[in-house]
Order: sequence, then structure tokens, then C-alpha cells
Amino acid sequence: MAKVLVIGAGFAGHTAALYLGDKLGRKHEITVISNRDVFGYVPSWVWVGVGHMKPEQTIFKLKPVYDRMNVKFVHASAKEIHPDADDQYVLGEEVGTGKEIRLNYDYLVVAPGPLLNFSGTPGLGPENGFTHSICSLPHAIKTRDAYLALCDRMKKGEKVKIVIGTGHPGATCQGAAFEYIINVHKDLLKKGLRDKADILWLSNEPALGDFGVNGVQIKRNGIVQKSDDFIKAVFNDHGIRYQVQTGVTKVEQGSIHWQNYEGEEGTTDFDFSMLIPQFKGQPFKYIGRDGSDVSSKIVNPMGFVLVDGKYGLPYPELSQTPEAWPAQYQNPNYQNIFAAGIAFAPPGPISKPFTNKNNLAIAPAPPRTGMVSGVIGRVVAMNIADLITTGKMTHSERMTEMVAACIASMGDSLWDGNAVTIVMRPVVPDRKKYTNEYGRDLFISHLEMGVSGAWMKFMLHYTFIWKFKALLGWKLIPE
Amino acid sequence: MQNEQEFSKAEKFWMNFKLYQFWRFIVLNIKIYTIAVQSKWH
Ligand SMILES: Cc1cc2nc3c(=O)[nH]c(=O)nc-3n(C[C@H](O)[C@H](O)[C@H](O)COP(=O)(O)OP(=O)(O)OC[C@H]3O[C@@H](n4cnc5c(N)ncnc54)[C@H](O)[C@@H]3O)c2cc1C
Repeated sequence: MAKVLVIGAGFAGHTAALYLGDKLGRKHEITVISNRDVFGYVPSWVWVGVGHMKPEQTIFKLKPVYDRMNVKFVHASAKEIHPDADDQYVLGEEVGTGKEIRLNYDYLVVAPGPLLNFSGTPGLGPENGFTHSICSLPHAIKTRDAYLALCDRMKKGEKVKIVIGTGHPGATCQGAAFEYIINVHKDLLKKGLRDKADILWLSNEPALGDFGVNGVQIKRNGIVQKSDDFIKAVFNDHGIRYQVQTGVTKVEQGSIHWQNYEGEEGTTDFDFSMLIPQFKGQPFKYIGRDGSDVSSKIVNPMGFVLVDGKYGLPYPELSQTPEAWPAQYQNPNYQNIFAAGIAFAPPGPISKPFTNKNNLAIAPAPPRTGMVSGVIGRVVAMNIADLITTGKMTHSERMTEMVAACIASMGDSLWDGNAVTIVMRPVVPDRKKYTNEYGRDLFISHLEMGVSGAWMKFMLHYTFIWKFKALLGWKLIPE
Repeated sequence: MQNEQEFSKAEKFWMNFKLYQFWRFIVLNIKIYTIAVQSKWH
């Protein structure tokens, strides 16, 4: 009987656990260790952050799902990974009791999502800083409360400044911040308060609509349309000001310090700000049999797990080398360790990085969205099942092959809500397969705004919660 | 878009015209499902 251990129960880890339970659960031991006993449907935290969805509508308990799927659940925080042969285990700390837990494994899936590195930008974040975040449920709730308090001030006639975007020169996840800014705009409009707020989009993207993926390009009526123009039109339409090519370096009470591509330094005042922090890998200790630190064999300096990608290529070369992106998410030094979701180390950025004259790199990190994370979780699970049953992996999917569909909601009303529907194939341009200058399939890639997007977003919330609960037909729903 | 940075009146009309949007809802669902499900064969 093989022991498979999954660290983390988010989009990647939970998807992996469901497929592992389904494929192997009856004959082998599948265990998930997660520091939260609920699954969180992260995309809907945007709505929590404006007070349009109750937090409890975005979560459900994991254990009953795992009981049905023949998966053991351990409610603990993983701390140490001991990867050396014959004695491979993870040490964790049980939530609530602090008791040390040892979990042996034959195969390990590392999928604990990002460490939200607020300390990477002095003054950033809701705990020790002055800005807000929607990257965890407690943060989204705190953001909601601060936002609603701000609305009360506006109701009394006060004019306010709202800044939303990225809080570090190397931040990712611009899509979530974009969705949030549009939801704030729409909510203020409904409350009759829009004229009381000056709203600014502040981001490290090279251009508007870049989203850390080099933008989205589509062909409509024979003309190539770019997300840059599209998002500009959205912001112009909504009266949202924007400033891109900007890396936030420090935040103080009411003011954000930044540098831009030109190397200029400036400050922007705010009354309310939601800025996405830099993401790092979770700070696990990787310990060899002799007690030595073996982390350099498993993770890069940012803490992301090294897998079967080609690392170290300069951007111009990487952007022409689709096969540099990992296919099976397997660590080359410890081949029974896999990484899924945000935890794996990408070989480099997707968007063109930029370093200004002060040597500040302003470069969005590649996003590993929910769909990408789920696909990787499934690929990893199927390969582990392959290895256990036949000894040979048969699944692979690079980000240069993956499709991503994102619905960026603009208000949640089914009547007058709106959303931008974004489809791109592939997520990371493949300039060998698609010979246009964007490296994308311009026929499949899609950008569209309308009420239908709001219906889709609403439908996705319930469809995905259905899937993640492993209810009837869950495997038919794509990741 | 009527120019590169603004939506035209006609575009805004279609974005909110429910019957057309219902059609788009069906088309987009089919499109996204068919391309996303292909990933399962990898
Ligand atoms: C507000 C917001 C909106 C978004 N909207 C979209 C969207 O519309 N579409 C889309 O595709 N993507 C969206 N994303 C991105 C998407 O949520 C992420 O890509 C996805 O959650 C990443 O999955 P993951 O499994 O790698 O990490 P996570 O989902 O973060 O899961 C990691 C899990 O590991 C657990 N964990 C952490 N540390 C430990 C530890 N030490 N021990 C045990 N367990 C641990 C965590 O509690 C968590 O449950 C959004 C992100 C945000 C923040």
C-alpha cells in the first residue's frame, strides 16, 4: 500500500486529493494536511470584500468530502519536509493543540499556495500596515468592514481617495485586483456615492490589461484587438484613473510610495487601499537525513518548488522556448515530490520584465490562476496514480499548452451586473506553435464584456463548489 | 470599440440587451467548456 500525502487543500491540493481519492483511495492511503479545515472558493472573496456575499457562502468543510472520497484529513500546519529515501515524512503542528504530527509518505504533493509576503513592502497589509487585501478570507472580511466604514464617511459627504492594484514591484494576481476595483466602482454607483470617490488603478504591469500574462490578444472581424485598449476603454467608461509601470516600495498612513519605469519616485495619497502583496513559497524547512538543510535541492530562493522546467534562461530566450515550462511538476532531485498550483517555481516571467535606472525590477510574476492550479493538481494526481499502478507517468500539461478562462465580474447583479470574459490559449505564449507575434491562438482567445459574463460568474461559483464537494458528475466539470 | 479607448453606444447597447446576452451566455459556455475539457485528455 502506497502512502500519498498532499500539503494544502486549495485549488491545486484539493483537486489533486479528489482525483487521488477517486483513483487510489480504496487501495492506498491518501492523506491531506491542511491548516484550514474548510475549502475556500477564493474568486468569490472579491464579492465578500464589497459586502455582496457572506463569507460562509464561499467555504465548506473538507472532512465530510474526504470521508466520501477515501481521503484522510489532518487539520495541521506542515512545517518540515524530510525527503531522504527510506525515511520520508512531513512534520506538522496540529491546529488547536499545537501537537507535533508526523506523516510518512511515498509520494508528496506540495500545494500550500502562496505566502503573502506583506513584509516585502514596508507598511503594506492589514496586519502590520495600512492597506487591505482580499487574498485570504479573514483579510477579505476586514477589507469589507473598512470599505463599508468608508462608505459611511462618504454618505456624510466626505470625498475619498481609493487606490487598488499591486503592492510590490514583483506582485502577481492583477486579475483579482482588477475585479475588485470594478466591483468597488459598481457598488459605489449603486449606493449613489460614486461622485464622492476618486478611484485609481496602480499597478506594476508593463501596460494596462497585461495581467502578468503579456496581455490578451484576440482577432475580431480580421482585426487584432488587445486587452490594453479594452481595459483602457473599461476604465475610461467607469471614470477610473490608472497608473501602470509602477512598483510600490513603501506605504505609510495615507500615502503610498512608488517608483516607475523612468526611475521617478512619487507618492499617492489614499483613504482606502487594497494592494496585492508579493507572493513567496511557504517557508517549510527541508531537512536531510543527517539534519542538513537540503532546501536548495527542492526550492528556489523565493521558496517555490523546483520542478521539471528549464530554469535560468534570460527572458528573450525563455519567451521563445515553450518547452522550458514544466510538464509534470516533478522535482528532479526527489522524484517522489511534486508541486501544484502557486507552489511550483515558474521558469521566469511571462510579461516582459523591466529594471529601472535605480535598479528596481518592476516585473509582474506569472499568475498561476485557479484553473491553472486545478489542471496541475489533476496532472500530478494522475501521474502519481500512474506511478503507483504501472510505474510510468502518462500525463503532462505545460502552461504553454493550457487554456485559461477568467471572468472578471463587475458587480454581481444578474440584472444589471456585468463582467469581462477573458479566454486565452495558451496561458504562456508558445511562439513556436502560434507564429503570430503574440504566440497565442487568436481564434480561441476571447475578450468580451456584457451581462452574460455576470451570469457566468454566478454560475461558476455554484458549479465549482459542486465540483469541489465531489458531488454527482464532478469529474465532468473541467478544472 | 469606436476608437481604441472607448466603447461605442451600440456596443453598450448589446452589452446590456438581455436576449442577445442570453445567446452570448450559451455560446461562451459552449466555447469555454469545449476548450477547457480538452485539458482532461492530456
Ligand atoms: C481575490 C482573488 C480572486 C481570484 N479570482 C480568480 C478567478 O476568478 N479565476 C481564477 O482562475 N483564479 C482566481 N484567483 C487565483 C486563484 O485563487 C489561485 O490561483 C488559487 O487559489 C491557487 O491555488 P493553490 O491551491 O495553489 O493555493 P491556495 O488556493 O491558496 O490553497 C493553498 C492551501 O494550502 C493551505 N496551506 C497553506 N500553508 C499550509 C501549511 N503550512 N500546511 C498545510 N496547509 C497549508 C492553505 O490554507 C490553502 O487552503 C483569485 C485569487 C484571489 C486572491
